[in-house]
Amino acid sequence: MPDSTKQVTQSYYKTYKLDNIDDSLKLELKEKCGIDIETCLECGKCTGGCSNTHIFDFTPRKIVQLIKMGQETRLYHLDALWTCVSCQLCVDRCPAGIDIARIIDFVREKAIKRGAEPTRSNVKMFHELMLDEINKTGRVGETVLMIKFNLKRGLYFENADLGRKLFFKGKLKLFIPGIKNIGQVRRMFNSNPVQREV
Amino acid sequence: MNVAYFPGCSLHGMASEYDLSARLVCKHLGINLQEIEDWNCCGATAAHSLDHLLNVALGARNLNIVKEMHLDRVTAPCAGCFNRLKTASYEMRHNPRVAAEVEKLIIAPAPVEPEVTNLLQLLIEIKGIEAIARQVVKPLKGLKLAAYYGCLLTRPTKVVEFDASEQPISLDLLLNALGAETVIWGHKAECCGGGYAASETNIVLDLGGQVLDSAHAAGAEAIVVACPMCQINLDSRRGKIEADRGKKYDMPIIYFTQLMGLAYGYSPRQLGLSKLLLNPITLLKSKELV
Repeated sequence: MPDSTKQVTQSYYKTYKLDNIDDSLKLELKEKCGIDIETCLECGKCTGGCSNTHIFDFTPRKIVQLIKMGQETRLYHLDALWTCVSCQLCVDRCPAGIDIARIIDFVREKAIKRGAEPTRSNVKMFHELMLDEINKTGRVGETVLMIKFNLKRGLYFENADLGRKLFFKGKLKLFIPGIKNIGQVRRMFNSNPVQREV
Repeated sequence: MNVAYFPGCSLHGMASEYDLSARLVCKHLGINLQEIEDWNCCGATAAHSLDHLLNVALGARNLNIVKEMHLDRVTAPCAGCFNRLKTASYEMRHNPRVAAEVEKLIIAPAPVEPEVTNLLQLLIEIKGIEAIARQVVKPLKGLKLAAYYGCLLTRPTKVVEFDASEQPISLDLLLNALGAETVIWGHKAECCGGGYAASETNIVLDLGGQVLDSAHAAGAEAIVVACPMCQINLDSRRGKIEADRGKKYDMPIIYFTQLMGLAYGYSPRQLGLSKLLLNPITLLKSKELV
């Protein structure tokens, strides 16, 4: 074949070595989320609507395919887990009614439980800091969260210019009153296995 | 009309002008908003991303307080909070296994009764467009607006049961009832980048940039929003987006309740218009609306 076709073919069609192929992931998805992955027609409408498919390492359609093939290791190391905006376009477009956004949440939760390193640690860190705030006071103060996020990454002046503008508009609040029955919120965290790993 | 009110963390924080204008407009329309006492954060992106059950539990606690208030409906102006609460309610209603697990976490029955309605939905479906139009004393004539729904107001359709998924019209109808013209544009229900505002800002620059560009190309003079994340993302990253794309996007990003208040005769100061990073006052003055 001509060289240009060879180039495209080589970059486009990669060969994957498959993990052991068993049904356990599919069955767990069915049990935990009520999703029957085999109803996927592989039509690609999900990818067609996806907001961030252009930066995903595996497109939504391919992610569903990975679930069908039980490729857990590859799934837990996806970059897509940390760039999906959960805009629900895939969910609404799927003719089989498969909740792909939920699948990505499910895979991410499992990836964390299995100790897989996120490809974008900032994203995980930010989520954890926000949950920490909820655990401590029941509500989230945006300013406090931003400051903590900067401190934790050692990027003290990140968004400082924006912070200055917001300050002059009176939008920065440093003190957020906590809720009275914080025990009711904390109890949701304490008995939860994911939080124990955090 | 008595409705439970869930402001959420943003409306008590950076989006206080949304809270202010929402309360003003609802009072004007005879809707009695009762803030949920001791409400907790809905969990936003963080909870559903890391722990699905936590998201439902956080929502369940809030909905139980609504029941204690003897109210059957709760409204949230923030699209994110609305979507989280609605999803929690949906899961408890349709998934007995989740309901059982949540009951163990919150040590209380799973609250399936309260209806969760976003503010736009409350005004349009329950109050009605005619009632909204009737209160207009200063029609917003001459304003060309892009109604921006973001992603969480209309999706997923089977959960929120509100408007069309990708080409909704409810906010457009409301703005038309206020006397303004709305543009037809492709990104009216596309994501702005939402929760990645701080953790992966490039995503917001990309997706938010597409929204600004699309509204600009459609000839909009301002973008009207119903979500504090969309508002802050588009307003605060405008400078960087303009630098990246080499274009000017001079459109103010205004909360729909602020425009309602303006049409109802309230002053810019009462509506907190100057709190928006790009103050719409210049645009409004040029249209002789203030």
